[in-house]
Amino acid sequence: MRLFVVAWKEMIQLRRDRLTLAMMVVMPVMMLLLFGWAINTDVRHIPTVVFDQDRSAASRDLARSLEATGFYRLAGSVSDYDQIGRAFRSGAARVALVVPPRYAADIRHGHTTRVQLVVDGSDPQTVSSATSTAASLVAARSAELTLARLSRTGGAAASVPIELEPTTWYNPDLRTAVYIVPGLVGVILTMTMVMLTAMAIVRERERGTLEQLIVSPVKNLELMVGKILPYVVMGYVQMTLILAAGRYVFGVPLAGSLALLYALSFVFIAANLSLGLVFSTLARTQQQAMQMSFFFLLPNILLSGFMFPWEGMPEPAQWLSQGLPLTHFLRIVRGVVLRGSGAADLAAEAGALAIIVGVLILLASLRFTKRLA
Amino acid sequence: MSRPDDIIVDTEHLSRRFGDLVAVRDVTMSVRRGEIFGVLGPNGAGKSTTIRMLCGILAPSGGRGTVVGHDVVTEPERIKQRIGYMTQRFSLYEDLTVLENLRFYAGIYGVERSRRRARIDEVIADAGLADRVEQIAGTLSGGWKQRVALASATIHHPPLLFLDEPTAGVDPVSRREFWDRIHRLSSGGTTVLLTTHYMDEAERCHRLAFIFAGAILDIGEPDEVVQRRRLRVAELEVDRAGEAADALRRAPEVDEVAHFGRDLRLATRELADPGEVARRALTPLGIQVASYREARVTVEDAFVSMVRQEQAG
Repeated sequence: MRLFVVAWKEMIQLRRDRLTLAMMVVMPVMMLLLFGWAINTDVRHIPTVVFDQDRSAASRDLARSLEATGFYRLAGSVSDYDQIGRAFRSGAARVALVVPPRYAADIRHGHTTRVQLVVDGSDPQTVSSATSTAASLVAARSAELTLARLSRTGGAAASVPIELEPTTWYNPDLRTAVYIVPGLVGVILTMTMVMLTAMAIVRERERGTLEQLIVSPVKNLELMVGKILPYVVMGYVQMTLILAAGRYVFGVPLAGSLALLYALSFVFIAANLSLGLVFSTLARTQQQAMQMSFFFLLPNILLSGFMFPWEGMPEPAQWLSQGLPLTHFLRIVRGVVLRGSGAADLAAEAGALAIIVGVLILLASLRFTKRLA
Repeated sequence: MSRPDDIIVDTEHLSRRFGDLVAVRDVTMSVRRGEIFGVLGPNGAGKSTTIRMLCGILAPSGGRGTVVGHDVVTEPERIKQRIGYMTQRFSLYEDLTVLENLRFYAGIYGVERSRRRARIDEVIADAGLADRVEQIAGTLSGGWKQRVALASATIHHPPLLFLDEPTAGVDPVSRREFWDRIHRLSSGGTTVLLTTHYMDEAERCHRLAFIFAGAILDIGEPDEVVQRRRLRVAELEVDRAGEAADALRRAPEVDEVAHFGRDLRLATRELADPGEVARRALTPLGIQVASYREARVTVEDAFVSMVRQEQAG
């Protein structure tokens, strides 16, 4: 049977193509883990600050029971609305519970007290569950109090004891486009920057022009930076296009400073380009370079918080995602675009990104010079 | 005799290992300024590895070498500024035009900005590329690519030009034109060091090095190298050519018998008379020699003889 001869030859070729074979084995396992981890819209431990203006046993009890739901994680207390804004802008908190003064007293006297829940609306997926969880908690507590009052007075309850007043900041209409568009900047930059650099260098090696360059007096650094520079410009063009389209087509506002965003993006672009360089030293053909880039893109999309809420992921996935440049860049770009975060708010994320860049550049230059020798 | 500053490439016991594989075992040679020096050898003999070491892009595992007055180990960057390099792959940017390729290499090799235009025009005229400057390099045929590659490799007027199998995959007419250009460069003072396994090309070099299994077997002018083998060659037309070849191969003086169409090409050792040898071997078998003529011993004869002897131990 000729059919089996063809199949036999194909099997041999497949076995010799180590990279493809490895991907075929690793891919399903990786997909399983990634999707299993990522697709979890049940957000837990959402960082929450408390603005407690009452400072009573009752108000502290309310905050504690909020944390007991497992949905919120108390990330500290603040003493005014400005501090809530600051916590939101730096990403330290996504939700704030505001307890009014006289909370305990109002409950005691049978007056209605209004508790406010401020939610960062830049991620619409978490807003509704953040609000509804708090709402049901407050409703349950209200019901308890009502029952207690009924049994005490034996008459009709005059009013609802506690009301929850939800407020959404930074994307009050909860439009998904507002959330997705800035993130898309990061995803597209990751995809094109990594792939373009990796392929551009592997192409030179494949065609023999890299050897021609190595024989020339051009220096290692001149070659690396010279090759990368046009792609940095490309990256900024892409970013500008997405932001402009987001603004004029989808009405995504720009809350913060564009200059800051462009400056911080440089670190992110540098991270992706160095990663592309690392890939280029591993791949032998352009096809392999492309495979690697796509392989890398998958965890980025799933774990960075681009599609699925980061707070919903289990700890190992969160740890892993800290190593992805996109995770940090998403926080930066969403912070600047949606919440108007400033340089100080984003220092931690920018620092993390800089560390990743440092490691990648070190790795790239080590591998790259080795290949030249 | 040549003075030391006439020597542009000088190596002693140069070697290179890749893991367990010894690509170059022992290469000792001197190349004189202005000559066309051919490194001749079969595939895998270590020709390209030797050139890479001389260009300063591959560190030798042992031995020493100087190229254009600089040490290959300690000063590779200084070497790179003064050499041209072209491989059989004609490493051009296939998506750039001929002119853009030339401009790129002129820039990379640091041809002064003020002289760049003039120099590019010069190589375009030399290589006869005037009608092709706007053509995308990838669409050129092999011969034209080779011209552009040579023009790029010489754009900075290097005193020394390395050509690694420069005529592989190029048609015979283009090869002749290419050799004309090589000789013109050489007359202009450029030293050319090239590798080849085309024997007819070897005869066009001023001097040759035979390299086999990573070591040099002989160095000299083509005539000298051939004479040192002490071979004589004749072409004879016989009936029953297959049987005749077998009989000839059994004769102790016979170095090589090869089929050339209907003829046999017979090489004998130690200047033994091939006619005499043939008569002694073939007469007992009753094989008639229809025609006989002695032929010039070529570099190919000498090379095959040398490699056979090496392989035999």
